[in-house]
Amino acid sequence: MNDETRHRTEPDGGHTTDGGHASAGERTTDGEHETDGGRATDGGHATAGDELDPSRIDGHADAAEEAFPPLGSIKRWFVTTNHKDIGILYTLTALFFLVFGGVLALLMRVQLWTPGGNFLSPLSYNQAVTAHGLLMVFWFLSPFAFGFANYVVPLQIGAKDLAFPRLNALSYWLYLFSGVLFGVSFFQGQSLAGGWTMYAPLNLPTYMPNVGATTAILALVLFVASVTVSSVNFLTTMHRMRAEGLTYWRLPLFTWTILLTVWMMLFAFAALLAALLILTSDRLLGTTYFAAEGSGSLLWAHLFWFFGHPEVYIVFFPALGVMAETFQTFTGRRLVGRKWFILAMILVAVQSFAVWMHHMFLTGINLQVKTLFMATTIGISLPFDLMVFALIYTMIKGRIRFTTPFLFSFGALVLFIIGGITGVFLGAIVLDYEFRGTYWVVAHFHYVMVGGVTALIGGLYYWFPKMTGRMYDEWLGKVHFGLFFVGFNLLYFPMFLAWETPRRVIEYDPAFVTWHQLATVGAFVLGASFLVMFWNLSRSLFVGEEAGDNPWEFATTAEWAVPSPPPLENFPGTPSYGSGSLRFLTTERALTPGEGSGGAPGVADGGTTAAVGGIDHDLDSRGLGGHDPDRSHDPNHGHESHASVWPFVVGLASFVVFLGLSGFRDGGLPPGMEGGIYAGIAVVGTAFLAFALVGMARQRFRGPAGPFGESWPFDGVENTKLGVWIFLASDVVLFGAFIGAYVFTRVAHGWVDWHVVPHDPTPGLVNTYLLLTSSFSVVLALVAAEKGSRYGLLAGLTATLVLGVGFLANKAIEWNELFHEGLTLSSSVETSTFYLTTGLHGAHVLVGLLIVLYMMGRAARGAYLDDERPVEYFGLYWHFVDIVWLFLFPLFYII
Amino acid sequence: MTSTKLYTAIYVVLFAMATAQVLIEFAGLAYWVGVAAILALSSLKAVMVAGYYQHLRFEPPAISAVVLVGLLAALVLTFAAAYSIL
Ligand SMILES: [Cu+2]
Repeated sequence: MNDETRHRTEPDGGHTTDGGHASAGERTTDGEHETDGGRATDGGHATAGDELDPSRIDGHADAAEEAFPPLGSIKRWFVTTNHKDIGILYTLTALFFLVFGGVLALLMRVQLWTPGGNFLSPLSYNQAVTAHGLLMVFWFLSPFAFGFANYVVPLQIGAKDLAFPRLNALSYWLYLFSGVLFGVSFFQGQSLAGGWTMYAPLNLPTYMPNVGATTAILALVLFVASVTVSSVNFLTTMHRMRAEGLTYWRLPLFTWTILLTVWMMLFAFAALLAALLILTSDRLLGTTYFAAEGSGSLLWAHLFWFFGHPEVYIVFFPALGVMAETFQTFTGRRLVGRKWFILAMILVAVQSFAVWMHHMFLTGINLQVKTLFMATTIGISLPFDLMVFALIYTMIKGRIRFTTPFLFSFGALVLFIIGGITGVFLGAIVLDYEFRGTYWVVAHFHYVMVGGVTALIGGLYYWFPKMTGRMYDEWLGKVHFGLFFVGFNLLYFPMFLAWETPRRVIEYDPAFVTWHQLATVGAFVLGASFLVMFWNLSRSLFVGEEAGDNPWEFATTAEWAVPSPPPLENFPGTPSYGSGSLRFLTTERALTPGEGSGGAPGVADGGTTAAVGGIDHDLDSRGLGGHDPDRSHDPNHGHESHASVWPFVVGLASFVVFLGLSGFRDGGLPPGMEGGIYAGIAVVGTAFLAFALVGMARQRFRGPAGPFGESWPFDGVENTKLGVWIFLASDVVLFGAFIGAYVFTRVAHGWVDWHVVPHDPTPGLVNTYLLLTSSFSVVLALVAAEKGSRYGLLAGLTATLVLGVGFLANKAIEWNELFHEGLTLSSSVETSTFYLTTGLHGAHVLVGLLIVLYMMGRAARGAYLDDERPVEYFGLYWHFVDIVWLFLFPLFYII
Repeated sequence: MTSTKLYTAIYVVLFAMATAQVLIEFAGLAYWVGVAAILALSSLKAVMVAGYYQHLRFEPPAISAVVLVGLLAALVLTFAAAYSIL
């Protein structure tokens, strides 16, 4: 793709280096606050896209803004924060992991050509199975969907970019480096080998002693960090930055599925994070959660599947969104029962958190709870029936055009129906006794999950012309679909027939050898079909036909109303649906989408499809109810940043830290050189990370500024504040899962027989006083900042720092005494839960104190007095940490 | 929004409730009554901090809803998991 074919407007002078303490940039920041008057009141309209970073708004930014290199430059891809670039990066990286995971699958299928084949060693086979599952589920499926989400969602909702573009880049780099870390695990003895569910106690060093297994788990932790940042970003964007008139009912269906997906991600991944952190602690620090007899392995199952079932929908919903979009586009009509479809999806998203124990029917949980979860599982299949019928009726009522994207979506529907029906068997307790751990399960979830992949591949063909400006070769696309569909069924259907084969084992009954050989042939056909795709798409980049704005004719969502690929800031004006159809408001007039380029109507998906004709081209925007965002008054207003190298640096530094940590075991290091090397890497990595975070905090960066059209129900809550709150909600689940793990373990071991670790509640009570007082001092600091008192602000922050340090010092003394009594992290499950849960809280305190320290430095130089929002947002976090302690103290000290 | 006086009053109340929690432990109540009282006090304190120090009282209710959904998820996990082994 050369630059001419990509219609992006390249940055001009405004975006190049401002040089040093750029006066222009500084004026922009200040100017914005001047024009807007007060901040706190009109949050909705003052946001300078300040990310979750307390330092940036204060008008004393130190680092100059970075220049934004052109598309052809390699550097561009390391510094870009633009959602379309990030979308492309996600898509390409995810495809790489598809190949990685796919090759591992082919290795497995070669092994299974004969029972107990000796192509791989049994242990290598186990690693291949495990890595294949983890890579496909985490590093391919969701990120692939988020490639599209990144590219398409802002376009569909009429936003210039995500709310926090720099954090979006950070999500990507954390994702990439988590994948690299996973790759490294193969070179540290042995990677994880216990299956993608990582069941306890198999996941402990006793059974998987290699450093590589720890690294794989740390890679997952890093991946979850990426997901959390991304969820906060998408939720803020989608709730706050929709175009005028784009109410939830009118939101395009793909955007709807992503919205529900990120909500599920926010909460489900927090539970996974709790599971992974506890596991990391068991491996690195020697706590004994998952080794504890009578509770450990069940605890893992609960935490993992509380995440695991929503995860099924997290990977499937975006596929459903692609299906809904392509069915509409290629049948030429709106989805039948659109509102019901949306309601059904909302219902499923909620229900998905109440079915997880159907993965535990063969464990020792009681029969009542099993029955309850069988009922909820049957319940969750009902809304899916509605969705399936909506898609089928849409086909029946519309006139179908069998393009490649449609074929893939249609194929996905067929596969999903088969996958869904075969899953019903597994949801019945009695049948699950028979089917658990067999190839029935393998076949079922591949029909569901790879059924989802099928739709996403359709999405790749669907949006390829938008992303590249070129059409793919339709004939080769159909060849790909044919090979894919045949290969898929040849691969997975025989697994139903050979269902008695035990899962994850290389041995099987020789009677099934034909079915397994068919499956292996199918696997290679499926793999080969992707060669056709890669050839087709990469060749089309250079020789494909020019795509035009809307190659699909009946596509109605907003991404088709702008050029392919869209310009840097997406729209020729401010998108608005205020009049019932999409228009771009500029200061001179309202532009009709596709005007002058022969494109099709860009209409909100949610109806009004007909309302396109007869548009008053000359309508002066001032006539449109004053919706002219008064940008014309401030020439700098539209100036937004698009480049930052810091997300990349933070990602790299996190990778180094985690690599160093992987060497630890049971609170110590491997002996000799090896231990020294790991310790060295960890120390260097930590310093590097600190440097990177400070660099990122000090950089001036402006994301999309308001005013935004629709922000309900968060009107008046500016983006950063909403982001902080959404993050805190996920932190609630993280701590909730830790407390839940403690309660569960304590119940399992007899609630009243439990030994409360600290025999003296006094240190805990003192710490309660310290933390409460520090909450009060943060409030006083904020009041002082509001009054413009630099001295009061500094005094409040200093008091907070002193009290927080006192809290940690008191804890250190307390722990030290307990250690001397022989109560270490590994002594018992009681000490493990005590140290780890309060330790996680202590880590939150420490992070808070580092932020306070940073803010004190800035406050001393006069920051925050004319804009105290960073102090306020820090306070939200600090009070949350205080609240957590209000529960930890009684739970671990006095009950 | 609200005055320093109110913040100070809340601080004093929180401080007193934290002390009361420990005293309950030594009040000789039946174990589960004590547990209920202690956790009720914790919840009350949490609501006061969230409502006033984090000024949720003055924000759109949707923000409180987001946090409460997270809390609900955590409670479902905790109680269902604990119940499953009773
Ligand atoms: Cu499930």
